[in-house]
Amino acid sequence: MKRALAAVAASIALLWIVGITSGHPDLLRILASGSIGSTFAIEGTLLKSVPLLLTGLAVVVAFRAGVWNIGGEGQFIAGALAAFIAAPLGVVIAILASMLAGALWASIASLMRVWRNAPEVLTTILLNFIGIELLGYCVNGPLQEEGGRYPESDTVAASLPQLGVLHAGIALAVIAAIAAWWLIYRTKEGLRLRATGFNPSAAHYAGISVNAQIARAMAISGGVAGLAGGIELLGVTHRLFERFAAGYGYSGIAVALLAQLHPLATIAAAAFFGALVTGAGELQRAANISSSVATFGQAIVILLLIMRRKTT
Amino acid sequence: MIELAIIATLPLLLAVEGELIVQRAGMINLGIEGMLLTAALTTVLFGFAGGIAGALLIALLFGFFTIRVGADQIVIGTAINLFALGITGFIYREWNAQIVGVTSNINSTAIAIAAWIVIPIALALMLWRTNFGLRLRACGENPEAVRASGHSVAMLRWSALIIEALLVGTAGAALARTGFAENMSAGRGYIALSIVIFGRWKVKGVLLGSALFGAAAVVQYALQAASRGVQFHLLLAVPYVVTLLILCGIAGRVRAPEALGKS
Amino acid sequence: MLAIDHVSKSFGATRAVDDVSLTIERGEVVGLVGENGAGKTTLMRIVAGELTADSGTITARTGEGAGAPLRIGFVHQHFMLVSDFTIAENLALATGARPRDAEAIIERSGIELRDVNRRARDLAVGEKSKLELIKAIARKPELLILDEPTSVLTPYESDELFRVMRRIASEGTAIVFISHKVREVVEVATRVAVMRRGRVVVESSKMNAEELATAMVESPRGDFGRSVESRTGEIVAIVGVAGNGQRELADQLLREHPRTRLGFIPEDRTRDGLVAEMTIAENVALIADDWRAATRHTPALIEQYAIRAEGASQLAGALSGGNQQKVILAREIDRAPELIVAAEPTRGLDIEATRFVHEQLRRAANRGAKIMLITSDLDEAFDLADTIQVIYRGKLSERMTPGDASSRVAALMAGVA
Repeated sequence: MKRALAAVAASIALLWIVGITSGHPDLLRILASGSIGSTFAIEGTLLKSVPLLLTGLAVVVAFRAGVWNIGGEGQFIAGALAAFIAAPLGVVIAILASMLAGALWASIASLMRVWRNAPEVLTTILLNFIGIELLGYCVNGPLQEEGGRYPESDTVAASLPQLGVLHAGIALAVIAAIAAWWLIYRTKEGLRLRATGFNPSAAHYAGISVNAQIARAMAISGGVAGLAGGIELLGVTHRLFERFAAGYGYSGIAVALLAQLHPLATIAAAAFFGALVTGAGELQRAANISSSVATFGQAIVILLLIMRRKTT
Repeated sequence: MIELAIIATLPLLLAVEGELIVQRAGMINLGIEGMLLTAALTTVLFGFAGGIAGALLIALLFGFFTIRVGADQIVIGTAINLFALGITGFIYREWNAQIVGVTSNINSTAIAIAAWIVIPIALALMLWRTNFGLRLRACGENPEAVRASGHSVAMLRWSALIIEALLVGTAGAALARTGFAENMSAGRGYIALSIVIFGRWKVKGVLLGSALFGAAAVVQYALQAASRGVQFHLLLAVPYVVTLLILCGIAGRVRAPEALGKS
Repeated sequence: MLAIDHVSKSFGATRAVDDVSLTIERGEVVGLVGENGAGKTTLMRIVAGELTADSGTITARTGEGAGAPLRIGFVHQHFMLVSDFTIAENLALATGARPRDAEAIIERSGIELRDVNRRARDLAVGEKSKLELIKAIARKPELLILDEPTSVLTPYESDELFRVMRRIASEGTAIVFISHKVREVVEVATRVAVMRRGRVVVESSKMNAEELATAMVESPRGDFGRSVESRTGEIVAIVGVAGNGQRELADQLLREHPRTRLGFIPEDRTRDGLVAEMTIAENVALIADDWRAATRHTPALIEQYAIRAEGASQLAGALSGGNQQKVILAREIDRAPELIVAAEPTRGLDIEATRFVHEQLRRAANRGAKIMLITSDLDEAFDLADTIQVIYRGKLSERMTPGDASSRVAALMAGVA
């Protein structure tokens, strides 16, 4: 926890330095006001935090079982596609469909690992690309909007309950984080999952089927990432388009690390990065400073946290 | 048209060649995407030498955290990509005047010949006919055996990273031949990773893979320009699907370097 | 040529090498004999420079003038081959020569290994062993150390190896041949040193196999006229030198019985037993059906088994070795399983902890459990067992009572009987 706070502090300090040295002494101030300085800003931060929370959660769950799920992008897309297709049946079905699709997409990689020893590090990345192309195909083809002019879909047939700009997905995301925490720390399945992640050999000798455990963890992980895509579609964008996933999957790694792999902490970690991204948007609008300082901030956090702990 | 394709694929090919060496030495450098992007920017700012320097800087960062500190290669690679994205985007806006309109001024023909002919031959010879290459490959298979023979796995892996940086630096220069744009690497680094697998970690294979992926990309643009051509997305997906199948050992046997990704 | 002088080395509380003095002359074949854990490999690793001694000196007089370090070749127990490389490439890696010189190198070594373009992973185990040997010899060592080289060889291949060894020795190289196979050592060694618990207990050039076997294995103390406790269960001790199939036996037993009806105390408690990053309670709950009940029950277990811990929520990794073993015992035995497999249950434990473990095993047996005690500690075996069997090369001997076994066990363990 201390490490995480130190990393956050250091990255803020670094951004301040960047601001001073590049002739923008008010960089931090703009970041702050752009992220939490007004109702509009806070709303933006909340909206941006939701997909980050869920993709971060996905990485956490998988990593607890000792597996790398960097397929968040692909699972995100799979979830959104499934939600779009299932939307005519209602928003609840659509949400469930998104989780199922994400779980299945992730399971492709874990099955390949179990059956053919294909390293999930490589298969999940490939599945990301395949997912991106699948999305491209859909929004240019079968799911393309009526006029046939833009590479995007029509408005989705259902949407999450909204309160102005905010949507019910925010609550869903928090519930997911709590559910993940409960699963990992308060159930037998979670106990076995953690044991598998810490010490597969001891888990095996305790009677756990390591392969099955990993497959289940990946499925849950994918389901959470798929949920992220579904919520983003049904709550924010309301239509599909190319570049829908836009790096959420990879940013999830940063979130997971900042949360020190603790499910409940992903809420705070996602809020931080959500604020960073939203504030950076304001930075670009107001002061023509590239919004990519946000990505820079994410990187610094990761590198600083890695310095202090060697992950598995 | 073919000429255009050959030149357009240069950044990808060079990146693939670099990543091949590194993966043969047992490391997965996801940060190659960031390396490419950084090199493109530094080429536009400081010329060809600057491009190489930019790539070397990223390689230094990656190598420090993975070889020296021993951190997980995937995490560091991801961090580096975010880092590069952030920094290049920031600098692009700050120094916009010095960047827009500047092209990298490289001799495309010379680089094309190098990338498609000279470098593959050199790499193949190096990997398979020299003791250095032998030790490098051994690092990717059984680092313990290398140490037992009295060689330094760390030094060998650093060498691989430096070679990769030289190649990816050139790739960045090639990429920026029409100037720099934000996030212009557009996933080529990740694609390069796939091609290394597709090519089964062999020089001939990655040449073929680069040609195929490159051709597919060119066809995509052509189709996109000509008509609504929806099929090009599916077309682009095919190489990835094939690579997946290769990883499963379905489309022929494949063996990744055994120690890939582990320290 | 090489003088080992009062060398000692400890790992933590364990004295791996205890005040050993030994000389090795050029052209000798010194057999270093002893059970696993006797200190043979550790001693040689110190000689080879892989480890540093805590005390004592090693002086070498090389033929190349003062100051030149002794050229030492070490053939380890486990292979250091790159499985994807060919024989030629593996040789090139090890010697720095070119792959095309491989055949010449092999010929010069006098060892037969054909077709250098085969990949290491396609080689038979015996051939891999030969390749390792060629690697070591190619660098023309003055001292060659072979660590259990015949453990994977057929008798024919072993003979081949011995021929090579004799030839190399006649050319002036000193050889140290580490083994627990007494019969072979007797065949090829010019001198034998027997190690036990870190010390050299016997040195001789004239012992026969039986004498060596007896010297190697500490005869069990204790009288067996003790009253046999009446018990419904049984303790069967499987004794043997490590590496004769104990692991495979344990794995097989685990496969044959459902985990819930089996108690398992693994040989390597940190790797296979406890999850160090989880709490004591979580480790206990890990094998339970009702994990909540198990968690609630853990404090009682801690008290019952006198585990020195700060509480059920302490991380298992923070406990001492003895207490970790108690946790494993507690969670396995408390379920009252029908069968308990205990592999080296007192390894690395002090006397008090050892006594405790033995007590718990006895009690479990008295309550009706069958205990399979796999151990290389003869004292332990004879103290506890109702029945003794010896495991050698994966095969079990007949069942014996402790009384019968006492005279036969040494020979059986060394494969001499």
